[in-house]
Amino acid sequence: MATMQLPDTLKPTEVALLYQSHHAWLRGWLRSRVGCSEHAADLAQDTFVRLLRARQTSPLKEPRAYLSSIARGLMIDQFRRRALERAYQDSLAHLPETDIPSEEHRLVILDSLERLDRALHQLKPRARQAFLHAQLDGLSIIQISLLLGVSKATVERDLAKALKTCYRLRYADA
Amino acid sequence: MPTPDQAPAQARVDQAIDWLVRLRFGSPGPDAQAQFQRWLSLHPHNGLAWQRVSNLGDELAGLPKDLSRRTLQGSERQGISRRDQLKLGALLVVGSGLGWMAREPLGLPELLADSATATGERRQLQGSDGSRIQLNTASAIDLRFTAGQRRLALLRGEVSLDSNPADKRPFFINTRVATLRTLDGQLLVRQSDHDLLVAVRRGEATVMTGATPVRVHSGETLRVQANGGHQAITPPSDPWGWTEGVLSVRQMPLADFVAELNRYRPGLLRCAPAVANLKVSGTYQLADTNQILQLLARSLPVRIDYHTRYWVNIDAA
Repeated sequence: MATMQLPDTLKPTEVALLYQSHHAWLRGWLRSRVGCSEHAADLAQDTFVRLLRARQTSPLKEPRAYLSSIARGLMIDQFRRRALERAYQDSLAHLPETDIPSEEHRLVILDSLERLDRALHQLKPRARQAFLHAQLDGLSIIQISLLLGVSKATVERDLAKALKTCYRLRYADA
Repeated sequence: MPTPDQAPAQARVDQAIDWLVRLRFGSPGPDAQAQFQRWLSLHPHNGLAWQRVSNLGDELAGLPKDLSRRTLQGSERQGISRRDQLKLGALLVVGSGLGWMAREPLGLPELLADSATATGERRQLQGSDGSRIQLNTASAIDLRFTAGQRRLALLRGEVSLDSNPADKRPFFINTRVATLRTLDGQLLVRQSDHDLLVAVRRGEATVMTGATPVRVHSGETLRVQANGGHQAITPPSDPWGWTEGVLSVRQMPLADFVAELNRYRPGLLRCAPAVANLKVSGTYQLADTNQILQLLARSLPVRIDYHTRYWVNIDAA
């Protein structure tokens, strides 16, 4: 499929202008928060990449507020990813030797878990719980509906919603 | 014929997902397979959508269960929900209050971690005002201190507060159904879907719900319903037990005991109607819920069936 020009993003020239005016400020803003200037430079770069893709057509009224909100989101994503990686290493350490997957398989699992984790965080708590019970606890729709005290139809809707989120994350870049 | 790199339309993907839910997690009737085959043959893109969706389903089903659960819960302990993160993000910008968090050099990870607990976890915090705060299992709070007041929002679960009498700012606790106010006290607030429990051990608290504020004095417990109705109650178990890591009950029906225990245990814990009214007494260590189940099997005429680690049934022995 041919790449489409997205009509609803800022023009690259506008982003370039924003970069000139605010990049140094953003780096400083980030440095004071993450405490490491290299890390801050990376995050500032990622912020502008994100800005290029952001659905935003009109010129920014308060560019610094907008940039810092993107940067804050990136910081939080990164903390989440690191937290997940740490938890994964901890969990692997708890496994008996024979159950530890191969290096390659370990990365495949981590990749899936990262997507699952991101999907879970886009769901409402009930849908999230239902989905975990179905996927990881092996519970059926009826069991989940008893556990959560909602109708079967509600559980079905929650599971479908969760799978749609996973699908989007899995195939969006394909 | 569709080529593999052609993406099926969202509507077909949605249908495929509905089928996956029915076939894998539901109890499909005898006609389901035939209906599914009919749907598949309706359009070549249905097959394509199904292929992608079932691949995704296989990928998820193939995840090692224990490893995945541990990892997701572990990361949950270190992080907190996105909604909370966004709120905390806003607080970070304001940069006011939150002194006990700000002491951490990097701030953010500790700050994210300290405001929520996973199922089975308890955590103790110290407020910048010197208050001691404890979070019970599956709980989350926001803290906000300003020059004139201290404020704790109980987003979910249960929290105990032992305020520092030296700090004279009023302390507010916000919950879904009521707001509490105290100048100094040791209180416990427990929020569930349908009600709120407020217990006071020291000092007193004013519960603002409906038109007239209600005072709760030391030694009293108040139940507030979602509609604002309230009454003083004698709690069926020691409400403070969890702050010491125990569940302490006297003559509590097994069904209620099991519901209470389930708060501390991920997954499904159920008890059969035949044994629901057996009475449980004793003090149990919350750190090991499996051991509590074993103790129950020894002291009551019940047996514990482990269907999976996360689905346990209690039935007549």
